[in-house]
Amino acid sequence: MLSLLSKKIGYSISFVILVLLLSACTSQTSSTSGEATNTKKLTLLFNVQSNTIDPHTDVNYTASRAGISETLVKIDDEQQLQPWLATSWKSKDGQHWTFQIRPNVTFHSGAPVDAQAVKSSLERVTQENPAIRNALHIEKMTANGQTLQIVTDTPLPQFPSELVHPNTGIIDTSVDGSTPSGTGPFVLTQFKPGIEVDVKRNPSYWNGQVKLDEATFSFNEDANARLLALQSGNADVVYRFPVESLSQLQTDPNLVIESVPGLRAHQLIYNMENPHLGKLHVRQAIDALLNRQEIVDAVMSGQASVAEGPFLADSPLSPKYTAKPFDIERARTLFAQAGYTVTNGQVTNNGAPLTFNLVTYQSRAELPIIAQLVQANAAQLGIKLNIQQVDNADEYLAENKNWDMAIYSFITAPRGDASYLLNSVYTPTGGLNYGQVKDQALNTLIQQLNQTVDVEQRNQIAQQAVEMIDRNLLHSYIIHPNNFVAHQKRVSGWVTSKSEYYMLTKDLDVN
Amino acid sequence: MRIFVQKITGLLLFLLILSFISFCLLQLVPGDPVRSMLRVDDVAVTDDQIQQMREQLGLDQSVFVQYGYWLQNLFSLDLGNSYMTGRPVFIEFIEKIPYTLMLTGTSLLVMIMISLPLGILSALYRGRMTDHLSRIFALIGSSIPSFWLGLLLIDLFAVKLRILPSMGEGSWQHLILPSITLGIAMSAVYVRLIRASILESSHQEFIRSARARGVGKQRIFTFHLMRHSLIPLLTVFSESIGSLLGGTVVIEVLFAYPGLGKWIVDAITARDYPIIQGYMLFMSIFIVLLNMIVEWSYRYINPAIAIDPRKKGVTS
Repeated sequence: MLSLLSKKIGYSISFVILVLLLSACTSQTSSTSGEATNTKKLTLLFNVQSNTIDPHTDVNYTASRAGISETLVKIDDEQQLQPWLATSWKSKDGQHWTFQIRPNVTFHSGAPVDAQAVKSSLERVTQENPAIRNALHIEKMTANGQTLQIVTDTPLPQFPSELVHPNTGIIDTSVDGSTPSGTGPFVLTQFKPGIEVDVKRNPSYWNGQVKLDEATFSFNEDANARLLALQSGNADVVYRFPVESLSQLQTDPNLVIESVPGLRAHQLIYNMENPHLGKLHVRQAIDALLNRQEIVDAVMSGQASVAEGPFLADSPLSPKYTAKPFDIERARTLFAQAGYTVTNGQVTNNGAPLTFNLVTYQSRAELPIIAQLVQANAAQLGIKLNIQQVDNADEYLAENKNWDMAIYSFITAPRGDASYLLNSVYTPTGGLNYGQVKDQALNTLIQQLNQTVDVEQRNQIAQQAVEMIDRNLLHSYIIHPNNFVAHQKRVSGWVTSKSEYYMLTKDLDVN
Repeated sequence: MRIFVQKITGLLLFLLILSFISFCLLQLVPGDPVRSMLRVDDVAVTDDQIQQMREQLGLDQSVFVQYGYWLQNLFSLDLGNSYMTGRPVFIEFIEKIPYTLMLTGTSLLVMIMISLPLGILSALYRGRMTDHLSRIFALIGSSIPSFWLGLLLIDLFAVKLRILPSMGEGSWQHLILPSITLGIAMSAVYVRLIRASILESSHQEFIRSARARGVGKQRIFTFHLMRHSLIPLLTVFSESIGSLLGGTVVIEVLFAYPGLGKWIVDAITARDYPIIQGYMLFMSIFIVLLNMIVEWSYRYINPAIAIDPRKKGVTS
């Protein structure tokens, strides 16, 4: 029957296809940032998307990164606290604080920034964000002119460092949080949830002239798509391109690659309730199976540094760490010293072969690969590691007991103070104490830190605590991944920060 | 009117059962949103604070009590706020759904534009070069992972030719690459379906009868053959719409497209219960309405389907 149908139908359809193909090939050229006019415009492409721009609730700190909101205190790349909207602060007991608010600063709305405005902003964040409420412990605030007095419900010597958190950004509370009015170099013009934030220059910025006229802070969670956006000219600055494309990008004369050590640490958590891992010699033996340099070179393509401890080696919080070489022979000796039998390529305890469950997760693609490397090295020694991948490591490690080790990752000193790491991970009730570390001497030291206000003394105590962690090998810190960014050569004034809190700044420019 | 009331009552009952089942399933999954809300990976938190928050949110209560509260709020049209952003679920859904509808529409359009002519041509020229080419297209189209196809398209149109944006939204150009990516993947299946359906219909008695009556070839093709071939396709078509509305997370991530797919995946990861429940409710309504429309369209395309068998005198 069909063969009898008119050939006209076939010809008509073929003609339509041809027309459609031709029309598809004549699409208009899309405009790239700022090319059509003299407007100085830049597009930054970040790797995590935000569905809200409210500085007090956004877990991705987009308002801070896009230069809309600013905090009372900021952190520099040497991990030192610096005055920002607060010019100074003081406290004798770590509980009663006096902050001087920077004069002659206005919100984007035009309202002045005084102690009352800061108080309202802090009240809003503690109401809206339970995590910040827990971190700040604010009991009472009194505003007087440019002086803000804050009383915390417990001594909190790290209070100024907690105010570095971008969620404590100071905004005009009379303006809706979905269109935040901050004090930063850029004013919000449009926010498209999950897509981008459009900003324009703040003409009355308190800290000097802003060089860019406009900027777009956009999101794309696919590393290859970000790379293509950079190559197509759709983006000027791109965060975390695929590391395997590094050598290709380095040869492109129009691009600049920047890479700085980050504050994050990939680590191996030991479950101290496991009878074997509770022994120092066993932990030391397993640590000797970690080939950190190989992980940096092969897994991270050189975009990381070997971690000797929880903090970067040049941090004021770091003591002199002990050397942790990759040495399978040493691991074998350590097992023997701990009373295990190492024969015929197998480590046994009273005749039973040693087997551990190693948990990891995929949201950081390199973690399962690191787990596999550890597994291979352990197999060489004669230990069986069963790798288990979970969706949500935090939940799994907290709710389950049937794991022995975990490859985990988090930012150890996000705001330049050691109290977060020490209290979260190394106190018996810490929310991140997944390994069930219960070290009385260490806990005493942490409580001492929690009562010490002087910064120098705090750093000394922190160093002692970290030294204790290092000596007892309570965790094996593996690497610090780098923050790496590629940008077009026409971009100037770009600074790749360790904290990643500040991205669109007043000094950023395009030629 | 009676049928309408019946349908609505059925819909409400279905939604009630579905929402309860999904609520129970959520509770069966280990973990809760408290650790994410308190940001254990960023702010010092104690076990006591975690427990306190759990109690504050009522997560320590039984699933029946929690469901009761959720249902009570639903009656006052309150779907709650997202645990992660603090924003109303309804507002977040309303922000996302236009993008998803737009991408669904354009992807289906691309799919129809590719698969309909190719399917017809391969049926018309069965066993010939056109048919072989369409088979190769179907094989390749269904074998290529959509994320890879998307990357190839970005590389060609955005990087090499620089005629289309690589990502984002804001203009019709932004929709082209994601729509083509999804459209090609779907049309690979549809080309073969359309071909098979046309070939099957062409052997039906009513086609021969129409020819015997002297009905024109084009009229037979358009009003008899195509119409009959459409019915089995409609069922598959409605399933495609359903899956597209449900979200196409890979494409959304690749093209930084703000649809429902990424939104719900993030919510599931963070155990953002209000969003998951709200999404289930809205999508159930969409799917049920879609099925009702498809059911209605069967009757329109083939009125014989609407005839009550009893009136027709058919006995089983």
